[in-house]
Amino acid sequence: MNDYNKMNHVMPNFFDFQEIYPQAQMPKTPQMNQVEKKKEEVGSPKEGYTLGNLFVNTYVPYKNYMPQKLVAQNEQEALFLKMSELAFAAHELNLFLDVHPDDQAKLKLFNQYRQEANQAREKYENQYGPISIQANVLENSPFLWEQLPFPWEGGKR
Amino acid sequence: MWKYEKRLQYPIHIKKKDLRFAKVLITQYGGSNGELAAALRYLNQRYTMPDNRGKALLTDIGTEELAHIEMISTMLYQLMKDATPQEIKAAGLDPHYAEHKNALYPADANGVPFTVTYFATTGDPLADLSEDMAAEQKARAVYENLIDLATDPDVIGPLLWLRQREVVHFNRFKELYDAYKREGK
Repeated sequence: MNDYNKMNHVMPNFFDFQEIYPQAQMPKTPQMNQVEKKKEEVGSPKEGYTLGNLFVNTYVPYKNYMPQKLVAQNEQEALFLKMSELAFAAHELNLFLDVHPDDQAKLKLFNQYRQEANQAREKYENQYGPISIQANVLENSPFLWEQLPFPWEGGKR
Repeated sequence: MWKYEKRLQYPIHIKKKDLRFAKVLITQYGGSNGELAAALRYLNQRYTMPDNRGKALLTDIGTEELAHIEMISTMLYQLMKDATPQEIKAAGLDPHYAEHKNALYPADANGVPFTVTYFATTGDPLADLSEDMAAEQKARAVYENLIDLATDPDVIGPLLWLRQREVVHFNRFKELYDAYKREGK
């Protein structure tokens, strides 16, 4: 054991260290754990969706621009927004788990948002029409997949 | 295989026609750092990643980029909707109109059509992931250039959001790059 852990220096950049000492065991100093933890902290689905980044401590603003605040004007938009937020949160955790498949806390959170997103989508589809070609609401005639507007047409979506 | 979801990943509702802005925004569709190049780059590189972390990440980010093509295309469509040939000519888009009328076509802001030479695949995971990290940074920079040029909040909001996705994708690629480098992949 060297005396690295006793040294009280702060790493200017977590990643540079790994490039300089690729074979070294990463010393788990308290500072480093905190940096790591902070980067992996997730916000709520609403916060994450607003920023475009669920890992809120890694959000990088541009100049003094504030992220757009999405406000639902009616019940349909509110449910659509909720579905979008939950699906986004699950997707963010999906990307994270691709690289860190052993992270059990993130896996648990992924499954929570995945289920909630599926429930919100089914509820939306039953009331307002299909998002997925697997929606049960497609039993209705005429064929709703074709009948309802496409997302680039604006309006509700 | 893929399944389509009939929704945008993030909502877009542009009410004001702006052909001048469409003319520059098109680079995020068919330019060298645009979303089409990103999707094809990742979906093409994924087959030879050394393990499932790389195959999964390139598949899932590549898939998200397809949704970003749809967002940029939606913005272009709404910015150009109902434009008359006279308006198109006044905005300097008459060469586009001659070839494509009001339809979309992947090109950069100078009208240079998309080409597959915008991306590489070496089969070396560190080289390919370095390119992916650079691509995310370049796309972020171009989003910032576009935000500087934009005036409509309905345009700026989605551009800020798409810019932030470049930040997140860069972070995931960097984590994978560092892991592969550490492990000698």
